Amino acid sequence: MSNSSLPRVQHIMGSGVVAAVGATVCYISYTQQPSEAFLFPRLIATVFVVLALWTFVKACLGWTKVGNGLSLTQFSNLAPGLIIALIYIFWAAKGLGFYTATSIAFFILLSLYDPPPHGVLKSWVKRIITTACFMAVMYGLFALLLKVYTPREIFF
Amino acid sequence: MKNLLAGAAIALMGLTQTATADGHANYPERPIMMMVSYGAGGATDFQARIVTMTSGNEDALGMPIAILNKPGAGGRVGWNWLAGQAEADGYTLGAYNVPHFIAQSIKGGVEYSTASFEPIANWGADPAVLVVGKDSEFNTLQNVVDFAKANPGKLTTSGAGLFVGHHIAALQMEKAGDMKMAYIPTKGGGAAAMKAVIAGDVMAGINNLSDAFRAAQAGNVKILAVADLERNAFLPDVPTMMESGLAVDNASVNFRGVMVPKGTPQGIIDKLAATVPTMFENSRVAGKMKAGGSPMHVMNRDEVLAMWAARQETLKELLAGL
Amino acid sequence: MEFIYYFGDVFTPINFGLLLLGTIGGLILGATPGLSPTMAVALLIPFTFQLEAAQGLILLGAAYTSTVAGGAVSAILLKIPGAPANIATTLDGHAMALKGEGAKALQLSFLSSAVGGVFGVLLLIFLTPVLAQWALAFGPSHLFWLAILGVTVIGSLDSASVVKGLLSGCIGLWLATIGFDDIMGAQRFIFHPSLSGGINIIAALIGLFAIPQVITMFAKGRKNDGTEAIQVQKHPIKSAFSELFRYKRAMGIGTITGSIIGLIPGVGGQIAGLVAYDQSKKFSPDKDKFGTGHPEGLIAAESANNAMVGPSLVPLLTLSIPGSPTAAVLLGGLLIHGIFPGTDLFDNHPDVAWTFINSMLIGQILMCIFGLYVAGMAARVAQVPQSMMAAIVLGLAVFGSYSVQSSMGDVYVMASLGVMMYFLERFGFSAAPLVLGLILGPIAESNFIQGSMIATATDGLAPYFLTGALNLFLIVVVVLSVLYSGYMELRTRRYTSKEEIMG
Repeated sequence: MSNSSLPRVQHIMGSGVVAAVGATVCYISYTQQPSEAFLFPRLIATVFVVLALWTFVKACLGWTKVGNGLSLTQFSNLAPGLIIALIYIFWAAKGLGFYTATSIAFFILLSLYDPPPHGVLKSWVKRIITTACFMAVMYGLFALLLKVYTPREIFF
Repeated sequence: MKNLLAGAAIALMGLTQTATADGHANYPERPIMMMVSYGAGGATDFQARIVTMTSGNEDALGMPIAILNKPGAGGRVGWNWLAGQAEADGYTLGAYNVPHFIAQSIKGGVEYSTASFEPIANWGADPAVLVVGKDSEFNTLQNVVDFAKANPGKLTTSGAGLFVGHHIAALQMEKAGDMKMAYIPTKGGGAAAMKAVIAGDVMAGINNLSDAFRAAQAGNVKILAVADLERNAFLPDVPTMMESGLAVDNASVNFRGVMVPKGTPQGIIDKLAATVPTMFENSRVAGKMKAGGSPMHVMNRDEVLAMWAARQETLKELLAGL
Repeated sequence: MEFIYYFGDVFTPINFGLLLLGTIGGLILGATPGLSPTMAVALLIPFTFQLEAAQGLILLGAAYTSTVAGGAVSAILLKIPGAPANIATTLDGHAMALKGEGAKALQLSFLSSAVGGVFGVLLLIFLTPVLAQWALAFGPSHLFWLAILGVTVIGSLDSASVVKGLLSGCIGLWLATIGFDDIMGAQRFIFHPSLSGGINIIAALIGLFAIPQVITMFAKGRKNDGTEAIQVQKHPIKSAFSELFRYKRAMGIGTITGSIIGLIPGVGGQIAGLVAYDQSKKFSPDKDKFGTGHPEGLIAAESANNAMVGPSLVPLLTLSIPGSPTAAVLLGGLLIHGIFPGTDLFDNHPDVAWTFINSMLIGQILMCIFGLYVAGMAARVAQVPQSMMAAIVLGLAVFGSYSVQSSMGDVYVMASLGVMMYFLERFGFSAAPLVLGLILGPIAESNFIQGSMIATATDGLAPYFLTGALNLFLIVVVVLSVLYSGYMELRTRRYTSKEEIMG
């Protein structure tokens, strides 16, 4: 693996973000009170920031040895799924109730990513059955067996 | 299809209306959740599970109570959640530990105070006791006081955290004996504090009577004194601190009970306040509590309100100098 | 030899039925991502109210044993450790599953779990009094050094780059400080109300391992060529046995490390697997194969985390001190029947004590038999199409992280950490050291603070942390571990630079 094959710009961005987080953490831990409670965070943050800057400098110089970054194809592949997943987790799960939201998210993700052609009716029936089976298992496991009371807004 | 939807909507509205109109006569309609702000297996969690086990009976609430543990930072995490994030719909109860949550609210940095919660009933009172390892040279409370006076700040004493009952007892001892101890809060609750005493990491420890009773039965520790007004039925031979000449009252006694977040409908509070104390008095509950070495003390809502107010006063005074 | 008298009691129809129920139920719960052994055992507590003391404990003990082992299933097939104990299992176990050796990996993992587990319970039976003293020997200073020893492992764990491994560990250590600090009660880094309870380790575990898996499956896109399922080769159980005996060293290191670490109250089984993994890597002639689907790593990790089960109950049964959250729940199961662990248990209720311990011994073997039986079937999970797997894992992750504390906050934390981890992994960071930091941070911090409080009250910081045989021993091990890692890093660096020159 030669160094030039690694996406240098991406690495600079990635390690830049980590270094920025490190610097913020470091700043917060040295300014907050009471200082005894921040003894450990200070220690950690100092090491954190040193290592993060080192990584950042290495990335800028193109010395990074590991990590293949993200290709454009990969990114465009994952983007729709990730967006659906984030909407599901950060809004729908609470807003629509766990079971409703999960059924919808599950079905959409399956439609987006499973290989059978979209034009054929049979594949849609299969998707619906899969979703129903999955929800039945989840309901049995979490609601009936483990008695977890999940948020249920509309329906259940 | 349209008609069907409209019908469903009307039915739904009808349902919600009856629920509010009938003054919560049907409460509870589904299982209830009770938050315990200490980990599974701790003394509070263990007792909470026992006292709620008959809740599903028809003569009690008729619905089971499930325990939900939210441990962390001496209970602050759980009580913050109950005060700020839990829904005040009557289906979320919380276990309280007095003086812990009152002391923490006086000390500050938390989102709750006695005004954030409505007590329902009290089930137990677990006094703090002073324990030393089985091979310790201390045999009486006087030995300990003498050592602490001769060596200010050298008597390492473990307890379950800062501003919990154990810490209050330590502060009261320091004040009463005019001495300085080295109070060592442990992470991991009473069990970790007890381990420190048994292993000899610290010279003495303040712990729950229920846990100390067990450790003493196993022959691992000596219990020197109880921080309460009277001797305890579990330990008739152990003197109170007052008897041993240290003016420490019962402010550190760990009262455990049930409360709900402020804003819970009054109808539900009334219903719970009427049912829960009788549920605690169930003979099966009492039997299991006794078997587990946990002292019971059932109090109703009014008595708890008075007790909270009294503690608030004492603790404010005690913590003023800190 | 008292325990032999009570073997009969394990085989009464009710007791044996409960044992079977606990074992099979435990395997299923353990295999579900997000359900830790502590949760599984706590869920069973209400049932034990209705049972006799010995019966209740049999159920709890069986569930404890088999959830720990069951966690390996999702760790191997999905790269989602069911509990902290199974983190090390993912490293080589999942790599094996990717190579089509899922069935083999599961068989090896159940076999080594059983060997480790039986050894651990035998220790509990024969050496309890001695072990109790050993468990007490670890005070705050020793636990601090032990945590530091764990930190030294971070850099070399599952990362091609030592710097990035350490940086991942630092991120984990920092994440662990979020929330209320446990001793002082001060608020630290609470940027959002969801964080006020700190980062729950189980929720973090699900996020850090499951979500990157899901996104990776998304990134492969919609494929029609049928390559998306992993093949599963059949693997005869007989050859799994011979394979196991080929790696006696890993087995031994795993079992012994697991037993010792399991014994120490407060550290518990969380790091037993990781430390055993690291040790067997250091002593193995095939160091380079670790992390690429090498059975040795899997065997060491799994034997260690089941070996810890028996010893972890020693402090509970003898001193009445629960050494782990699961042990604390078991304590409740005893107290509810009015039985106090300690002398009371062994003198007045020997039937309860020994029936319980014996049932754990039998439970280990039952767990192995059932485990082997399902291994072949379970391995097919890997053949589920990736698109469906992504959706299933996502759903399980949400439900699993919510059910830990019935908290939406945990779900948000889980998802945020997961998405962050996916992108970090693209740049050479890895999840295992990050989680190790997350686990070790609180142990190191609280023991340091506690130790320093005791030290300032008594003989001062330096004498407290730096003297005493056990402290010195641990410090020497820490120093050796650092030197060894440095030496290995230099050696590999020399090799790679040579290759670069030649290339």
